Order: sequence, then structure tokens, then C-alpha cells
Amino acid sequence: MGLTDLLFFALSAVAIVSGWRVFATDSMVRASFLLLLSFVAVGLIIVMLAAPYIGVATVFMMAVEMMVMALFMVMFMMNPAGLNPMMMVHQHRFSIAAGVLAFAGLTAAILFTSFPENSVDPSTPVVHDLGIELLGPSMLIFETAGVTLLATMIGSVILSSRSGRFGMADQGSKPPGLEPDGEPAGRQPEQGGGHHHH
Amino acid sequence: MTTFLAALLLILFLSVGFAGAAVADRAIPAFLAGQTAPSWRLSLADAVRLLQTQRIRTEAPDALLWWLAPALYLALAIVGLAVIPFGQDLVAIPSEVGIVVWGSCEALTIVAVFMFGWSANAPLALIGAYRYVAIGLPAMLLSMFVLIGAALPAESLGFIEIVEAQRTVWNVVRQPAGLILFLMLGLAISLRGPFDYASPEDLAGGVTADVSGPGLLAWKIARLTMLVSVSAVTATAFLGGYLGPILPGFVWLLLKTAVVLLVLIWAGSVFARMPPARMMSVIWTMLLPLSFLMLLVVGVELLLWG
Repeated sequence: MGLTDLLFFALSAVAIVSGWRVFATDSMVRASFLLLLSFVAVGLIIVMLAAPYIGVATVFMMAVEMMVMALFMVMFMMNPAGLNPMMMVHQHRFSIAAGVLAFAGLTAAILFTSFPENSVDPSTPVVHDLGIELLGPSMLIFETAGVTLLATMIGSVILSSRSGRFGMADQGSKPPGLEPDGEPAGRQPEQGGGHHHH
Repeated sequence: MTTFLAALLLILFLSVGFAGAAVADRAIPAFLAGQTAPSWRLSLADAVRLLQTQRIRTEAPDALLWWLAPALYLALAIVGLAVIPFGQDLVAIPSEVGIVVWGSCEALTIVAVFMFGWSANAPLALIGAYRYVAIGLPAMLLSMFVLIGAALPAESLGFIEIVEAQRTVWNVVRQPAGLILFLMLGLAISLRGPFDYASPEDLAGGVTADVSGPGLLAWKIARLTMLVSVSAVTATAFLGGYLGPILPGFVWLLLKTAVVLLVLIWAGSVFARMPPARMMSVIWTMLLPLSFLMLLVVGVELLLWG
């Protein structure tokens, strides 16, 4: 077993253990960081598979993504600053069944597939070829997928933030007054784009 | 052999750069305040004082993350510097996707700073952490567009090719505004002056509000090391890196890095910090479109005369 194998097994162990801990921890922020660790290990394995751009880009994107995910979870879950302990799993029976099925299916796929062994020639310009593929023949697919994902994200944020803490967002939600029927509490939004008229 | 030599040079670069940064960090504000010969011992005295200070504890912190965050910050600074070439074949970690590696270091730095503030389980540190994420993420986006502008003339994501492509003209001439935008990222990523939303005075130290003694010293060491790294990346991406006559490439890179570092420390002590909400709209509505424009300008220039 060479150094490469050792490195592969070490990274795989990190990816699996931290992936499991995501569901065992009691905090949204810790869960995000553990998931990030798992993805970083996977990204480094991809680098070992002679795909440097995809591997490093995975680390890069996941760092940003997990940070944003932690932030949005804390914003939407009404869990003050993500500090309160909470259960990270739900729908136990369904998830156990889904997990067992997925594990069995993937294991069967691994065991019954004869994987080809054509290692990449070190002199192949893999990054260059990937760039030509992404921005050439496959450009339409990737751009469509990108724009669709962005639209989905914006749409889901708008839909899930419509019912705010003080009523529907599109009906001018106002916080309750400090006394019954009093003026709404807090700072009032400025009228007319922030210009004051005296 | 060259990798070994590059690793040695990396250690030398880090040590010299860190010592210089530590002295300049105290000397330049003192100099700007009118002291003509500020003592170089100030930073050393600071370090000794921090080593001897008692440690304080917050209520129920996440001790593991709190300890890991400064180590992660320091490690990211070192990895970021390791992909920077000191000569044509002299690089500690040769990578054909150098600027993506550096981008990952930037992104993970934001995670490290958030981790540090969040794990203290204390209000001011937490506010600093959330503020920093809000400002740090768009600032990082800026730097990536600007870096793509630096990679365009090289037709490569590797730092060696980016430097070699600057033999005719430095990237700072191609996109002068790009250099300024990247310096802003430098301030943000080394938690300095106008872009320090993580540990500013208005939050009584923010993420560092409840850290004392050796822990605070470790954080400050990591922060200064990141300043050295981001200065070296700026020098490589915009000021021709190791290119220069007579002197060896390593010395040229060190000199250019020193200039960028001094500019960053100067800017950090001269410019004021905007309120976070206003800074956010400045970044998203002014600076990001500016970075797109710089990218467009470089692209058009290369199409017409490249």
C-alpha cells in the first residue's frame, strides 16, 4: 500500500466520519462546518483523481456555500444566532429506510461493476480541456442549469420569507406597539428613498 | 530538489515577511501620529505582554472550534503563500489552478473568522462574526473577478503563467482599479482598518472581545501572516511577481510584497470604516459592477490587441 493509498483512505475516513457527525451534532452551525469538512476531504480526493480544477473548485464552492447555508439556516429557523441546541434529524423511519436502501444500492453497484483502469496521462492538459468543454459544447447546458438554480434559490427565499414575524411581507408588516394600539415599535422605515424633507 | 529549495524559501519568506509586518504594524501608525523614530521593540513587547496575560473564559464556549480557528487561519495563510512562485520553476506547491487554491483560502478564511467569533458564545464576538461574513463574502467575490482579469492575459489559472504573461506589461496597467479592489480584499481578509468588520473598536474587539493572553497572540500572529500572504499574492497577480532586473526573483517578490504590505497598513490606519449596511450596498452596487467592468475591459483589450 503506497502513500497515495494511505492518503486516499485517510481522506475517505475524514469524509465519512464527518459526514456521519453532521447528523449527530446538535447545532446548525456545527453541522454546517462538519459537512464542509466532509466536502473538503472529498475535494482533495478529486484532486488525487487528476482533476485539480474540479477538486479545488469543490473546496472553494463548498466553503462559501456552507457559510451561506449556516447563515440562512440561522436567519430562517428563529434560533437565536444558531446557539440553541437542536435536533438535526427528523422523519426517523423514512430516513433509516432511505439510508439502508441507498447504501445497499450503491454497494451493489460498486461490487458488480467492473471499473475501467485507464489512468490519466500526466501530460494531458486536463484543466484546459475542461475549460474548452465547459465553455464550448456543454456551455448551454451549464448556463441553463446555473440560471435555473439561481432562479430557484431566489424564488424559495422569497416564498419562505413572505410570512414574516409581524405578518405578510407584501402587506406592509409592522411590529406591534409597545402599548396596546400604540405606535409600532422600533425604527420606522424612511419614506421616499432616504431623503428628508424639512 | 527545486521543490525542497522552494519550501526553504517559503519558510524564509514567511519569517522575514512576518517580522517586517509585525514591526510595520506598530511603527506605521506611530509614524503617522508624528513619532519620527518609533521603537521597533513595540511589537515584541506586545507579544510578551500577551503571553503573560491571564486567560479568560466565556460561558460554555465551543472550546474545540475556538482553539482550531487561529490554527486554521494561520494554515490558510501559509497554503495561500505556498502556491506563489519565487522564480520560474521555484514554487513550493506547483499548481496549475493556483488562483482557485488562493480563492479557497480566502473563502475558508471567512469560515475561520466566523468560527472564532461564533464559538466564543458571547454577544460582541457573535455580532463581529456575522458582520464579517456579510461583508467578507461579497469582498471575496470582488477579488475573484479581479483575479480572473489577471488570469485572462495568461490564458491560465496558474500563478507562474500569470507572472510570465506580465513580462510585456504588468497587470496593474491593464486593470488599475483591479489592484485597488484587490487591496480592499487584502484589508478584509487580514481584518484591517476600513474592512475590519470582525474585530472593530465599535464592538470592543468583536471576535477578539473575549479572548486574552496566548489565544489572542495566536490570532494576531495568524492575522499578520495572512497580511504577508495577501501582499505576496497582490504583488504576484498585479506587480509582476518575481520579475525584475539584476536581483534574483525571490528578492524582487520580497521587495514588491513589502511595498504592498506597507500600503495596506497605511490604508488600514488612514481610512475610516463605514457602517456595515452602507458598506454592503457600496460593495454590491458599486464595487462589484466595477470589477465586472474591469474584466470586460481586459477581455476587449485582449480581443483587439491580444
